[in-house]
Amino acid sequence: MSELLIKNAVVCDPINNVNCEKMDISVKDGKIVESVSSGAKVIDAGGKLTMAGGVDGHTHCAGKINVGRFMSPHDMRMTNVPGLSGKEAPTATTRAQVGYNTPNAFAIGYRYAKMGYTTIGEAAIPIIGARHTHEEFEAIPILDKFGLTLFGSNWQVMEYIRDDEPEKLAAYVAWGLKASRGYGIKIVNPGGGEAWGWGKNVSGLDDPVPNFDVTPAQIIMGLAEANEKLNLPHSIHLHCNNLGKPGNYETTIASMKLLENLKSNRDRQVLHVTHVQFNAYGGTSWRDFESAAPQVSDYINSTDHMTFDLGQAIFGPAMTMTADGPVEYANSRMLNAKWSNMDVELEDASGVVPITYSPKNFVNAVQWAIGLELALLVDDPWKVMFTTDSPNGGSFVNYPEAYTYLMSAKRRAEIIETLPEMALGRMNIPGIDRELDLYELAIMTRAMQSKMYCMDTKGHLGVGADADIAIYDIKPDSVDTTVEYVAVKKAFSGAAYTIKSGEVVVKDGEIAMTPEGRTYWVNAKMPQATVDAMQVDVAKKFKKYYTVSQANYMVEDAYLPHPVEITTEAL
Amino acid sequence: MQTVTLSLKEKNAIPIEADTINPDNFASKSKDEIGAILVWYGNAQVTIGEVFDVAVDGSDSTENTKIVINGDVSRVKRIGQEMSAGEIEINSNVDMHCGSNMTGGKITINGDADSWVGCEMKGGEIVVNGNGSYYVGGGYRGEACGMKGGKITVTGNVRDYLGEHMCGGEIVVKGDAGLLPGISNNGGSIIIEGSTTMPASEMKAGTIIIKGEAAELMPSFAEDGTEDVDGVTYRKFAGDVNANGKGVLLVK
Amino acid sequence: MAVITDAICSLCGSLCDDITVTVEDNVITDVERACILGRNKFVGMFLHDRIESPMIRKNGELVDVSYEEAIDEAAKILVNSKRTLSYGWCSTSCEAISKAIQLAEETGSLIDSTANVCHGPSALAVQEKGGPSATLGAVKNRADVVIFWGCNPAHAHPRHMSRYSSFSKGFFTQKGRKDRKMIVIDVRKTDTAKLADTYVEIDQGSDYLLVTALRSAINGHEDVIPDTVAGVSKEDVLELANVLKEAKYTCVFYGMGVTQSRSKYKNGDGVSSLISDINQHSKAVMIGMRGHYNVTGFGQVATWETGFPMAIDFTRGAPYYNPGETGANDVLTRGDVDAAIISAADPGAHFPQDSLKYLAKIPVIQIDPYANPTTELSDVVFPAAVVGVEAEGTAYRMDGISLRMKKLIDTKFKTDEEIAVDLINKVRELKGGA
Repeated sequence: MSELLIKNAVVCDPINNVNCEKMDISVKDGKIVESVSSGAKVIDAGGKLTMAGGVDGHTHCAGKINVGRFMSPHDMRMTNVPGLSGKEAPTATTRAQVGYNTPNAFAIGYRYAKMGYTTIGEAAIPIIGARHTHEEFEAIPILDKFGLTLFGSNWQVMEYIRDDEPEKLAAYVAWGLKASRGYGIKIVNPGGGEAWGWGKNVSGLDDPVPNFDVTPAQIIMGLAEANEKLNLPHSIHLHCNNLGKPGNYETTIASMKLLENLKSNRDRQVLHVTHVQFNAYGGTSWRDFESAAPQVSDYINSTDHMTFDLGQAIFGPAMTMTADGPVEYANSRMLNAKWSNMDVELEDASGVVPITYSPKNFVNAVQWAIGLELALLVDDPWKVMFTTDSPNGGSFVNYPEAYTYLMSAKRRAEIIETLPEMALGRMNIPGIDRELDLYELAIMTRAMQSKMYCMDTKGHLGVGADADIAIYDIKPDSVDTTVEYVAVKKAFSGAAYTIKSGEVVVKDGEIAMTPEGRTYWVNAKMPQATVDAMQVDVAKKFKKYYTVSQANYMVEDAYLPHPVEITTEAL
Repeated sequence: MQTVTLSLKEKNAIPIEADTINPDNFASKSKDEIGAILVWYGNAQVTIGEVFDVAVDGSDSTENTKIVINGDVSRVKRIGQEMSAGEIEINSNVDMHCGSNMTGGKITINGDADSWVGCEMKGGEIVVNGNGSYYVGGGYRGEACGMKGGKITVTGNVRDYLGEHMCGGEIVVKGDAGLLPGISNNGGSIIIEGSTTMPASEMKAGTIIIKGEAAELMPSFAEDGTEDVDGVTYRKFAGDVNANGKGVLLVK
Repeated sequence: MAVITDAICSLCGSLCDDITVTVEDNVITDVERACILGRNKFVGMFLHDRIESPMIRKNGELVDVSYEEAIDEAAKILVNSKRTLSYGWCSTSCEAISKAIQLAEETGSLIDSTANVCHGPSALAVQEKGGPSATLGAVKNRADVVIFWGCNPAHAHPRHMSRYSSFSKGFFTQKGRKDRKMIVIDVRKTDTAKLADTYVEIDQGSDYLLVTALRSAINGHEDVIPDTVAGVSKEDVLELANVLKEAKYTCVFYGMGVTQSRSKYKNGDGVSSLISDINQHSKAVMIGMRGHYNVTGFGQVATWETGFPMAIDFTRGAPYYNPGETGANDVLTRGDVDAAIISAADPGAHFPQDSLKYLAKIPVIQIDPYANPTTELSDVVFPAAVVGVEAEGTAYRMDGISLRMKKLIDTKFKTDEEIAVDLINKVRELKGGA
């Protein structure tokens, strides 16, 4: 069978405590193995930086992004990041590509692969819209995919929490994951999606959801407990209430504190808080808006129950898209921008609104700083996932540029110099001299994801892992990443090699082949009696309120041509 | 001074896309060099020399290069796209996107211009000695801004959506304009000497003057006295109120 | 005899998924719950003559040929073309649409859907202002005001009002029609209008003026509204605006009366702005009443595969989009293409004369289960399975919810998807050999 030997790789593999050491990697049948035969194909890495394939654990790549594409034909010709954006004609290997913030599905696959990423996670799947998400997954070449299912404004969820039915709640969540072929529980502005059904929002953790007599805090706790009861591989994945509002850091910290005492049977966090940049705002209005990254970071440093991701803002055009319906409407009115919305029956809401982050705008400048501050003020990189919440904070093709902000104070200083004076007093980044090294970058871009999603075969290069490997054209032995940020950005923008399941999919920054990726989903088992009791309630929902038959609701096997089913047993 | 004369050999049916025909690409090039430049003809590329007779007189910089186009180029798109200086004279009707995204120089069309003439233009001048069509000085689908600078003059009539999403620059139409001229105007100046229908909807800024009849004024403008321009008194409207607009619409 | 429940009706954009179908000896003998249109599709298909064999026009007559010969001939047309129009692909599955797009990409063609003569302007409107929308169930469960603007579901979407809108009962709308105010805006008193609480008759082509007046009223600028707008009195405009402000949840369903009348996409653009303005006071959404059962799916698939929902031009390799230039009728009326491939649509019956005159001059390939006026213009004809009856696959409801259509009976005919794949392979072979 197919064998590959990568020689002279300088490997940064934090899961296996390998800190940029020269070694060989053996690959057989798509997996990392101890050794291969002498007949193996050889790649000489020549001392180049070698990491496991990157894992983007929170990106908008399938489903709602299509709304973003639909409303922005002008995005298709944007060439903001040369080589990773704009229009490209089809070739013998690749389909036609377009776009920047909202590239077509093919471009998503190619461009992530060029950056050495091999696995991506869609951040929000409405159950009733899951079939669509999986259709787009299927169209994204090369990469392995997984998605998080929305439960935070779901009627059945809120009713079970209100009625104190934790067993049925867990059974419903398990069923919802199966119906949507999802990997974990996503909670977006808990209760806010339902309130948006009436053009309203919830104001914080204790503001009851209209007509459902539950609070956002109860929704978070109920779903977190269900998550642990089901023994899911990921924790709850929370987009906090009050996103995007000055002063929201208090809600954010209070949400984090809610779960301090929850225990998990698995070796992972019990809470992941997402795109915290948008939820670490100080001040009381846009006038006295300031970074609250220090307060949030201080709290995260004091606890071990959670992870988070950045939602780093990138200067230039971006496209916001979230299940947080009320936030998107407010954005569109504030920015005088086009607004798409989708109220999803019985389940949630969503919206899509374009935005431009300008370095001349003091609010945008402070937003840019907050993401970096969070990454650099939180001591333990294992708690930090690098994201731009693509394309909310900016397109994923800007990751290489953003890495340089984290790795070079000199590079940061160049940007800070261009920011308005008013912004500098509202941020802390000018006083932070921490610079991440390649090992820490590997943690934030692949290794911590392996742990936070309990994906044992992803994010590392130990024996038994998937042979998803990125070789970048810089030499850790000689590069000074704090100074040579141009070379760092170039290397991460087009991998020397990206290897997916043992196959060379990118060579010298160009797509070499385009195999189909797999889709991971979680089948959580609950006792049959509980499942049956839950089904009685769900059947009523279909009979009276859904406009789709229950028989046509579940995503069929046909939509997962390459499934990886993860089973769990309830506690 | 360099003068390049292109004469279309044979009228084409499938459009030729000639975004390479501009003074920037032709300046200081020889007849053979210009003849070898590629244009799209359907889904294949051909050389300019294959479809045009090329004559070159002199050799000079972009600003001193003039391109004269003869023959029926009513199916040749994108002439003068992105030109920055120099001059183009087209002695024919011309197809879509003529002068789109141009930043400087001058295009004179001695004939009609099909849709999107001066689309997203940023500077320079276009004179259409004939009729325009749809989206004169407009923008690409989804963009916030159409024309941002420069001037377009159309001696004849134009069709709908004149200057859609215009963010700057000036358009003068000597004849009539179709539906919804100046829609979503965000700072441009438009003069229509003939008549038009439903002008200035969603205007945020800029000025629109209509010297002929303005049919069906939008129910989103507040009448605000009169204003004299060049000795003529116009009724003045402010709006669009639904866009919190500060635009000025002057009608007789 | 087999009884298939929860079958999906592949007729209109309502995509009703609660149909029970009885099959005896591979013939559908009974259909429960479908409307008359849907029933005719299921049962009526056995009454119509199918295209039985692939055909090629020889000496002016369509004659039966082998499938291989037809594929060969069609691929030659595509390979020799400077610019082909691929059109239709809306009464078929998303899987077929995906292959049609790939075929267009590989042949440097232009591909457009039936939205070109229907809701295409709705997409342009979304590109101007966004699409503030909802799933149909959100309307069923919440809406206390429904507006039908320029559409006539009583005829075009017969079960829409009972399943999703006017009459449907939901969680916050337990009394159905009694809990709901129904308003129809149109140029003539349609059968839908006869069911409404309020019928607003407007002058032909004046939708944009009425939308704008409503916005002015809702935004507190009554003073700029003249005594009569679009044939409607100011008093009625203000009253309607008030209903929208006071409503708990409004849905505006809009049809071709909005998208294809004067001002075209600016009408939908205006409605989108109106929805945004209403949300300053209450809650409102809009949903287009899509006709062909999977025209929404074409828009979805094309958007994730090419970045654009319709009118996609691969002539220069990378996709280019500019309705007005790259729409099916844009290129046909100008004579900008030299061949056409048409599937699951009937331009012969629906396109303007100028377009048809040009279609008659160029080689046309047709893929369809039934002979129709387009067949008369065609030079190569492929019979196809009826998707949603004889072939499974994905379709998108008018609100963007996708469902899996079942295969209800067996067929000897190839699917649109299979034919598209065979064409891709033959084109590759011909190009490779060139």
